[in-house]
Amino acid sequence: MLRIKSLHLKDFGAFKGEQAFDLPDGEGVTVFYGENMRGKTTLLNAFRFALFGKIIGRGRRPVSFHDMINWEARSEGARSFEVQLNLTYAGADYRLIRTCRPKGSASTPIGHNDYVADYYLERGGHILSPQQAAVEIEQILPEQIARFFLFDGELLQEYEDLLHGDTDMGPKISQAIERILGLPTLTKSRESLKAALDKAEERVAVAAQGDQKTREFGNQLQSLVEEREVLTGDLFRHEKDLEILRGRKVAIEDDMRRRERMASLLDKRDRLAGEVTTLEGVVQQKKDDITKAMSPAWSAILRPQLTAAVAAHRTREADLQSAVTRAQVLHSLAEGHDASCPTCLQSVSSDAQAKIRALLPDVGVGSPDADQRELGSVRRRLDALENQLALANPDALRVLWSDLEARRREVYSKTAEIEEIGKQLTGDAEDELKGLRREYDSVVRQIAALEDGVKATTEKLATNANYRDTIQKRLDKLAGGQMESERRRRDLASRLHDLFKDSVDVYRDQLRHRVEADASRYFKQLTTEQDYEGLRINDSYGLTIMHRDGSDIPIRSAGAEHVVALSLVAALQNNAQLRGPIVIDSPFGRLDGGHRSKIVEVLPDMADQIILLVYEEELPPARAREALKGRLRAEWALERQSARHTELVKR
Amino acid sequence: MALEKTVDKKTIGITTVNERVLASLAAEGLFASEIEAAKFAMAHAIDKDVTRGTTEGAGTKWNVGSVDSDGALKAVVEALFPDESQPYRLIEHLMNEGLRLFANSGALPPDVAGVLFATKAT
Repeated sequence: MLRIKSLHLKDFGAFKGEQAFDLPDGEGVTVFYGENMRGKTTLLNAFRFALFGKIIGRGRRPVSFHDMINWEARSEGARSFEVQLNLTYAGADYRLIRTCRPKGSASTPIGHNDYVADYYLERGGHILSPQQAAVEIEQILPEQIARFFLFDGELLQEYEDLLHGDTDMGPKISQAIERILGLPTLTKSRESLKAALDKAEERVAVAAQGDQKTREFGNQLQSLVEEREVLTGDLFRHEKDLEILRGRKVAIEDDMRRRERMASLLDKRDRLAGEVTTLEGVVQQKKDDITKAMSPAWSAILRPQLTAAVAAHRTREADLQSAVTRAQVLHSLAEGHDASCPTCLQSVSSDAQAKIRALLPDVGVGSPDADQRELGSVRRRLDALENQLALANPDALRVLWSDLEARRREVYSKTAEIEEIGKQLTGDAEDELKGLRREYDSVVRQIAALEDGVKATTEKLATNANYRDTIQKRLDKLAGGQMESERRRRDLASRLHDLFKDSVDVYRDQLRHRVEADASRYFKQLTTEQDYEGLRINDSYGLTIMHRDGSDIPIRSAGAEHVVALSLVAALQNNAQLRGPIVIDSPFGRLDGGHRSKIVEVLPDMADQIILLVYEEELPPARAREALKGRLRAEWALERQSARHTELVKR
Repeated sequence: MALEKTVDKKTIGITTVNERVLASLAAEGLFASEIEAAKFAMAHAIDKDVTRGTTEGAGTKWNVGSVDSDGALKAVVEALFPDESQPYRLIEHLMNEGLRLFANSGALPPDVAGVLFATKAT
């Protein structure tokens, strides 16, 4: 049984200087009232820091140690913070002190990596060695199940992990749950009996080798036993390596989450660089298009002049055409080719013809030949002018140039953005993040390879077991002599192992059903929805809400998740060999008044020691006193001294 | 001298001073060649009502066949300047005057788009 006695803080978060609170003996609820940003979540983090050296912020992101030193104290020169947790466990008194201070090499610490957190653990007044301290903290409260004792209503994702067995944390959490439920005692016994069985089998093989009748089978069996040992050793190593790698993967994910901003800057920069490269290709294409279109650009400038010239030339063409036609007619009349005038149809006399001949110029300006030549020249120029006008298309050129300009502006803008990002990225941060990503990819690949290895080795072990079984059966038919006693020993070990194996499976199922029943009971007490029948549990202790018609509620709101998570916490406390306090921050989340009332009523039944972190509007003190009555053991207030200084005051 | 001037030019040249402007104009205007850029400069000079004349010291850069392979340029200049007896000499002069206008308008490179789209629509 784990009980918290007191918590001492020094310059931790909003809590400036040395501050402390103690919890009363006996069962009940202690309530801490504090408005937003006064330090309620910081108190929860104080427990986390003391026990595990971690501080978690919004969205499960780790909080930098540098940011946890009380700001006012830091401005006065403080460079460290400390949390001391006094508790009792299994009848012994413990004192756990964890201190965060700058690393020796950091003259001016500015970030998380400039700090180091050290701790020591006392039991009964004696300081334990680091190795022993680590083992005992792990026993007092394994980190994987801390979420069931340090409940943060804003981190509900952690409970959803249980629903999905394929997450990295899911199996680890369910193993840890089984530990609090006491399963390891049985599973360890089962493993011991397995070892005894393996040993017995080996002795059968050796005995069989000693008898000529059974020597061949004995040799085969011995060989299979040796192979089994090798495969078992391989499997053990694979699983150990997998555990380490999975832990490393989670740690890298934590680290990457801390550097999320840097990562997102890098991603943005890389994306922008890609876009710039694409745009530069587009710009070049636009330039090529413009080059093709600029050939007649000179005539686009002269469009008005060309148009005026075309008009003038057309007029001149018309005049010349008239003159040429008149001259041709007069010439024809003068030469007597036509007897009558084509216009008035009167006949033309010889005198008239002579007069006409006198009027017509023979050569030079005004002569029919000169006019004809000029007409030809005017027409050639008109053709040239009209061709150039047709080619001149300033509107099309305008569109092309505008488009190019727009693309160039885009390139410029994105390049400027890349430069700005570059200023925010420090060389080290970028390299570290790239290194982390490479390591993450490598770890993921190694995990996949190891999982394949585990699967393959497990299959080989199964095949090995089948062969061994076959040979055992053959040996059993040839019973006699020394083999008989070894065979009986082996049979006994086998039956005991099977008994424990079945017992573990049965007990596990019973435990799960008990947790399911208790969680359902709590859920029905906490929920206001009458159509909900209860909860159903899966193999990894994930809970699904069941409708009274027997169907599952597959998707649930944050509010429902909240209630389910609280139900699981309460159910585990009920069934655990490890029972302890529950510290609850944001107990109500986004729950409505109905749910809140129910939670307050049920709280004292959930655990022997409850610490509640709320604000007064969430749970008015009068209401808490009325609902909890004699089980309300103490009230504390987180009182504002300044924006960065909160004091713990007992009411 | 008077006899030489009655025969039109067979080559077209750009003055040494204008060569740099021409190169800058060709690059900035994305022209396929300096010939196209030179035609553009010529058109700019016509548009700005540059006085007709002769450019001395232009040297030889292109022959007229390269500049005006189909005679269209000559036909257009003759249409715009009907009483000009030496259209290619005039073309050479207008090209150089146009480049001088670009150089005098401010720093290089020339504002090709500005000239192109400042044209009055008809």
